[in-house]
Amino acid sequence: MNSIALKAKNIVKYFNDPVTLKVLDDISFEVKTGEFVSIVGKSGCGKSTLLYILSTMDTTYEGELEVNHQKVTGLSLNQLAAIRNSSIGFVFQFHYLLPDFTCLKNVMIPALRLGKYSYKEVEERAYEKLKMFGVEEQALKHAGKLSGGQQQRVAIARALINDPAIIMGDEPTGNLDSKNTAIVFDLFQRLSKEFQQTIITVTHDEDFARRSDRIIEMSDGRIINQH
Amino acid sequence: MKLSVNSEIAFTYLFARKKQTVIAALGVMFGVSMFIFMQSLMKGTNDYFEKQSFNTTPHIRLYSENKVADTHILDSFIKDASVKILVNPKQLLQRQGIINPNGVISRLRKDPELSFITPQVTTNVIYTSGSVQLNGTVAGVDIIQEDKMFDVQGNMVVGDFRDLNRVNNSILIGKGIAGKLSLHVGDNITVASGTGSPMIMKIIGIFQSGVKLVDETKSYANIVQAQSLLGKDRSYVTDIKINLKDYNKAPAKAREIETITGYKAEDWVQANAQLKTAFKIRAMILNSVVGVILLVAGFGIYNILNMTIYEKIKEIAILKATGFSGYSVISIFLQQAIYIGLMGAVIGIGIGFLITYGFSKVYIGGPNPTSGTLSYIPMSFYIPHYVEAIFFGLITTIAAGYFPARKASRVDPVTIIRG
Repeated sequence: MNSIALKAKNIVKYFNDPVTLKVLDDISFEVKTGEFVSIVGKSGCGKSTLLYILSTMDTTYEGELEVNHQKVTGLSLNQLAAIRNSSIGFVFQFHYLLPDFTCLKNVMIPALRLGKYSYKEVEERAYEKLKMFGVEEQALKHAGKLSGGQQQRVAIARALINDPAIIMGDEPTGNLDSKNTAIVFDLFQRLSKEFQQTIITVTHDEDFARRSDRIIEMSDGRIINQH
Repeated sequence: MKLSVNSEIAFTYLFARKKQTVIAALGVMFGVSMFIFMQSLMKGTNDYFEKQSFNTTPHIRLYSENKVADTHILDSFIKDASVKILVNPKQLLQRQGIINPNGVISRLRKDPELSFITPQVTTNVIYTSGSVQLNGTVAGVDIIQEDKMFDVQGNMVVGDFRDLNRVNNSILIGKGIAGKLSLHVGDNITVASGTGSPMIMKIIGIFQSGVKLVDETKSYANIVQAQSLLGKDRSYVTDIKINLKDYNKAPAKAREIETITGYKAEDWVQANAQLKTAFKIRAMILNSVVGVILLVAGFGIYNILNMTIYEKIKEIAILKATGFSGYSVISIFLQQAIYIGLMGAVIGIGIGFLITYGFSKVYIGGPNPTSGTLSYIPMSFYIPHYVEAIFFGLITTIAAGYFPARKASRVDPVTIIRG
């Protein structure tokens, strides 16, 4: 229960355009398995930048990052892609589904990429996830035809399909009304409590943050408070 | 259906944009079918002319050539180190013809690469009928061998060429001669060479080769008759005609025979130099046209994939975020290019074959002075053309697809997703 899902050590990040600017200054923290962490702070404090570094998509930083006890700093882009595929689920502020595919396919694609299960098993698992979020009836509709809330739920189902150790959210409720926000929050809470999945979200929603296990508060590229 | 996820995404994108996909494939199809059509037409025509040239020229012609005087006689008289210079050297008349032709022939017969060897006596003559005279040449041949090499039978208009061996003093004349002198089979014609006495010969047949110049001058006689026409003995032979099993080896073989026999061996490539040049120029013109068509098709594919990538840049970012590597992204977009190329190539092959077949049925007039023996447009159905067409079609599409695909693979998900 006390194992570490993610560990950041002395992360420093600069933006070089238009002038060199230190956006993250010596960030160090750990997240335990099954923990539900919210990162909050004013716009421009570097919280999204931090999240993209944690997600392994941004590789231009100083310091060290460990995901699932594996040091990921310095790995090649293709190795990182494989790690993201198997261990990290990502939920964006805007749902970002692939509109040419059905919802079911959207959820299936990362799992097909992983290739751990057969096509049929993947299909069943994807269907299960959709059911879990109450959008199974939309499974065969094209992603573009759904409402925003439904799309975000499909996107979360997609993030979960490979049973990732960590789920990251970049303002996952930022674009949703209060009813859908509540649904998404409940889902996250269930995932962390029932399935022991680690959740790290960046959010502006104070209510959302307050109800999570831990809040990391950032200002000007530093962590100023954790509680 | 079992498909890799990359292929599945590639297919979905192709089907989501049916119109563009079809238009891009049409471009490739057009290029491939034109490639096949033009190659078939070119090879058909070239083959026709090559075959046509083998109707009159052998693969190798061996003959004795006059030589320019050199200093070797001087050398044998004045045996010192002085340099001898001949002023204004002239051509020396050799003893005309090939010395000991039977020896040369039996020696050549030992070479397994040669399929036909036949001696010939060629002489310039004047044909006379009534008061009209006509210049021409008589080829004294073994007509049976001649038929095997040049298909005399196929050119016969009237008569039986075998009568050349059966009827004494017989001659087989070209249709042009028959027309100009208004002669028919069974008529007599006076033939005079420069050296022997004129002979009256009986016309046993008329042939038409399709080459006007040949039909108006050439006639065949028995080799013995030609020898006596020239007033020469039975060992007098001017040319030895040689055919090979593989005519493409003729130039090399000709050099070999030249070294062995010491006579001039002229291969068909030298004899038809203008033909080869024409082939080359034709190939250049047609290949550049086809090249441009394929290039345009390539730009079409490049354009469409570039647009797709521009439109789908967010989706590419998402795919990368969910764990698709750069290789996978290249694979997705390159596969789209390849499927477009394959689709175009396969349809193009079909259309190319149909066009080729259609043109091969176009009648352009039977044997007449303007078209020779050509009655249909010569088209060749040559499998390697189709293989090449697929190859070039695919190369174009892969090249056109690779650059957009590489661009897609370099999309940085962070910049795109953060906006």
